[in-house]
Amino acid sequence: MTIGTSAALEVQHLTKRFLSAQHAAIKDISFEMENGEMLALVGPSGCGKTTTLRLIAGLERPDAGLISLDGQVLASETKFVPPERRGIGMVFQDHALFPHLTVFENVAFGLRGRKPAELRAAVSEMLHLVGMESLANRYPHELSGGERQRVALVRALAPRPALLLLDEPFSSLDADLRREVREQVRGILKSIRATVIFVTHDQEEALYMGDRLAVYQRGRLEQIGTPEEIFHSSATRFVAEFMGNSDFLQGRVVPEGVRTAVGLLSQAIGINGSNPVEVALRADDVDFEVDETGNAVISERFFRGAFNVYRLLLDSGQVLHAFKEHTVILPVGSRVRAYISAGHPLVVFHEGRAVSGG
Amino acid sequence: MQLTQITRLTLPRWNAARTSPRLIMAAGLVALFVAVPLVYIFIRAVAAEPEAWQRLLQTRLWKLLGNTLILALAVTSGALATGVSMAWLTERTDLPGRGIFRWMLALPLAIPAYIGGIVHLSLLRPRGGFIPQALEAIFGQPVILPSPIGFWGAAFILTLFTYPYVYLLSSAAFRRLHASLEEAARTLGRTAWQTLWQVTLPALRPGLMAGALLVALDILAEYGTVALLRYETFSSAIFIQLSGRYDRSAASILSGVLVSLAIFILWAELRLQGRARFTQVESNWRPAPPVSLGKWRLPALSLVLFVISASLLVPMAVLVIWSANSLLDPQALRAVFRTGTIGFGSFIWNSVWTSSLAAAAAVAFSLPVALLSVRHPGRISRFISRLCQVGYAIPGVVIALSLVLLVNRLLPFLYATPFVVVIAYVLRHMPQAVRSSESAFGQLSPSLEEAARNLGRTSVQTFFQVTLPLITPGLLAGGALVFLTSLKELPATLLLRPAGFDTLAVRVWIWAVDGFYMQAAPAALFLVLAAALPLSFLLRREQIFR
Repeated sequence: MTIGTSAALEVQHLTKRFLSAQHAAIKDISFEMENGEMLALVGPSGCGKTTTLRLIAGLERPDAGLISLDGQVLASETKFVPPERRGIGMVFQDHALFPHLTVFENVAFGLRGRKPAELRAAVSEMLHLVGMESLANRYPHELSGGERQRVALVRALAPRPALLLLDEPFSSLDADLRREVREQVRGILKSIRATVIFVTHDQEEALYMGDRLAVYQRGRLEQIGTPEEIFHSSATRFVAEFMGNSDFLQGRVVPEGVRTAVGLLSQAIGINGSNPVEVALRADDVDFEVDETGNAVISERFFRGAFNVYRLLLDSGQVLHAFKEHTVILPVGSRVRAYISAGHPLVVFHEGRAVSGG
Repeated sequence: MQLTQITRLTLPRWNAARTSPRLIMAAGLVALFVAVPLVYIFIRAVAAEPEAWQRLLQTRLWKLLGNTLILALAVTSGALATGVSMAWLTERTDLPGRGIFRWMLALPLAIPAYIGGIVHLSLLRPRGGFIPQALEAIFGQPVILPSPIGFWGAAFILTLFTYPYVYLLSSAAFRRLHASLEEAARTLGRTAWQTLWQVTLPALRPGLMAGALLVALDILAEYGTVALLRYETFSSAIFIQLSGRYDRSAASILSGVLVSLAIFILWAELRLQGRARFTQVESNWRPAPPVSLGKWRLPALSLVLFVISASLLVPMAVLVIWSANSLLDPQALRAVFRTGTIGFGSFIWNSVWTSSLAAAAAVAFSLPVALLSVRHPGRISRFISRLCQVGYAIPGVVIALSLVLLVNRLLPFLYATPFVVVIAYVLRHMPQAVRSSESAFGQLSPSLEEAARNLGRTSVQTFFQVTLPLITPGLLAGGALVFLTSLKELPATLLLRPAGFDTLAVRVWIWAVDGFYMQAAPAALFLVLAAALPLSFLLRREQIFR
C-alpha cells in the first residue's frame, strides 16, 4: 500500500494573525515538500508550528499566502477548500477519538460509500497494521494511551490521505512508551511511504522522525533542512541554541579568523572589520588539559555513563562544556587550559545570524 | 436537577478492607428508610383485591398508561429539541446577547410548571382568556386560537418549564466538548452540518440522556399542570382516588404501575448509555470556536426570544401585574394577607421551614451513603447508593399514598403533623443530595485527609478541620437543590398536610383552582423568587454562569 503517489505540498508566504491568544500567529512561512517525505516542524511552544498545521488541514483560514497540494490550490486569497474536501489526514494531540464509537467505527468513520464487506476488510487491514485487530470492539475510554495513539493514527490513514499531519502525536504518552510508539509509527509511515508533517517541541524527536526539520521561532521559519544541516550548520543562533546545547563563546573578527578567550579560531569569516561575533561550541568541540597557568578552572563534573562532562569557568567569566572519557576524573577547582578541538569548521554568528562555518 | 453528575472524579480509593461497620450500618439505615415506602407500595399493589385489578384493567388502566406515556414522550422530545437547540445557540454560536440568555434560559426552573400553566391558561383560554378577548376586540369577531386545555396544551406548557434540565446539562456538555473532536470529523470528510449530527450530538449523548431522563421522570410525577389542563395521567388519577374517592387499593395499583414505569425508564436509560462514555478530558482542552450564524442570526435570535418570553418573561410579567392589581385593591389586599385566621406570613414560614428541614435532613442522610460509595466502592455500597436514588422515580402522589398508609399503621403520633410533609420531601429529593455529596467527596483527594493524619490529627479532627470545610460547598449545593424542589412540590404537600397547614405552593394552587388568580399572584411571585435564590446560587457554581 502506498499513500500519496504524486503529491507535493507547496506553502508560500503563509500568514495568519489571531486576535485572541489561543493560537500563535505566523508570518510569511514558505516551504515545499516531496512525496514520501517526513517533515518535522519544531520549535518552542507558541511559535506557530501548530497554526501552520491547522492552516494546511483547513481548520483555519490564512490571512495571506498560498497552500497547494498536488498542484491543486487549497487556500489562497480567493480560494478556500473546506477541510472535508482536502484529503488531508490529521492526528490530533489529544487523539480526538470519538467517544461514542468503537475502535472499528472510529477507523471506519473516514471510509464512506463502501460495501460492508469491503469496509470490514479495509478497517481490518488498518487495524492489522498497528496490531489492534483484537481490540476492534472496544470503546476509546477502554484503551491505554499507546492504543489510543495507534487508533488515531490508522483512523487518519484509513482514507489514504495525500498528506498526513500529526500534531504533537506523542506528547500525551509517558517517556518509555513514547520512545516505543515513536519507532513503531515511523516504521509504519515509512513502510507505506506516507507524506507526513508532524509537529513537536522536542528536538530529539524531530531529529529522530524527520527527513527534514523546519525550525520555528515566534511565528517565523528560522531554518529548514536535513537534521545534519540543522545540527551542524545552524543558520541562526536560535537554531543552534534550540537544537543542540551549544555554548556561545564571544569573539572578535581578525584577519586570520576569530580571536576568542581560548585562542584563535582560524576560519574564513563572511564579514570583516573587528566585529563582535559568537562561536557555537558543543562539548565535543572543546577539550582541555591540566595546566597551572591555564585559562580556566573546572567548576563541576557531570557523570554521563560513557563519558564525563566538565563545566569550565573561563577567566573571562564565560562558561564552556567539554567531554572527557569516563576514566578521566579530575577534581573540581583544578586549573586547566581549554582549547577548541573541533576537526571541522565551527558556526560563527554575528547579530544572531551565521556568518561562517558548517 | 443534577448538574454535577457527569463530572464525578475517579480517584485512588481507600482500602476497602477498612470499611467501618458503623458507616455501613448508617448508610444501610438510610437506604432502609428510602426503600420501605417503595417496597410497601409494591406490596399493597400486588396484595390488592383481584376485583380492583380487574376493574382497573377493564376500564382505566390502559387509557391512563397511553395518556401518560404519550405525554412523557412528547414533552421529553420537546424538551430535548428546545434544550439542545438553545444550548447550541448560546454555547457554540456568535448569537448576540448569549451571556444574558444563558441565565434567562435556566431561570424557568424556578417557576413551578403549574404556575406557568395558570398564567398561560388565563392568557389563552378559548373563552375569557386575555389574548382571545383582545383579538376579538381588535378584529370585531372571535379568533380561534389553539386551546391550552388537553394534551397539546399540557405538552406545550410542560415543555416550556422542563426544557431547562436538558438545557443546563447539554450546555455543560457542549462546553466540555473538545474542539479537536469536531475538527477530526472535518478532516475525515464531514461537513460542519454532518459533524453536528454524526459526532457532536452523539458524543454529547450522556448529557442529553441525563437531561431527558430528568424530564421524563418529572412528567410522570407531574400533578398540578395536568390537573389544571384536564389531561388525565397516572399521577392525577391517583390523586383523585386518594383525595376524592378515597379508594386506596385502586390508588395502590395505579401507583405500583406508575413506579414500575418510572423504574423501567431509569433502567432503559442505564442500558442505552451502554459502554460509550465520555473519555477523560485531556490536559490540553481547547473550546471549539463559535459558529458564525450569518443570515440565520435573526431567526435564531427570534427563536431564543420566543422561548424566553413564553417560559420566563410573560409568566413573570403577568405575575407582577396581577400582584400589583391585588395589592392596590384594598379588598383583595385583605384577602391576600388574611384568610380566616391564617396570614400570608404563615404560608411563607411553613414553606421555608419544611423545605429547609427537608434539605438539612436529606444532606445529613446523604453523608454516610456518599462516604461509603466514594471511599469504599463495592457491590454493597453501590447497591445502597442506587437504592437511595430511586426517589427520582417515585412521584409525589405515590410517596404521599405510601406515607399515609405507613404512618397510620406504624407511627400514628406523626399522623396529621407537618413532619410527614417533611419526610415526603426528604424521600422524594434525597437523590439530589446523594449525588451532590458523592461528587463533593469524589473531588476530594483522600491524600488530603491522609496528610492531615500524618501531621498529627485524629480522624475526627481531620473530618472537621480538613474534610468538612472542603466539601461544604458541595453539600450546600445539594441542600439548595432539595430546598428548591421541595418548595415547588405540590401533590405530596396537598395530600399530606394537616388541615389548615398551608404552604405557598398549596395556597397558590387552591386560590388558582378557585379562579382567584389575582389573589394567588403575590404568593406565586414570592414562591418563584424564593426558588430563584437557591437556583442562582446553583447556577453560579456552574462554570458557564461565571
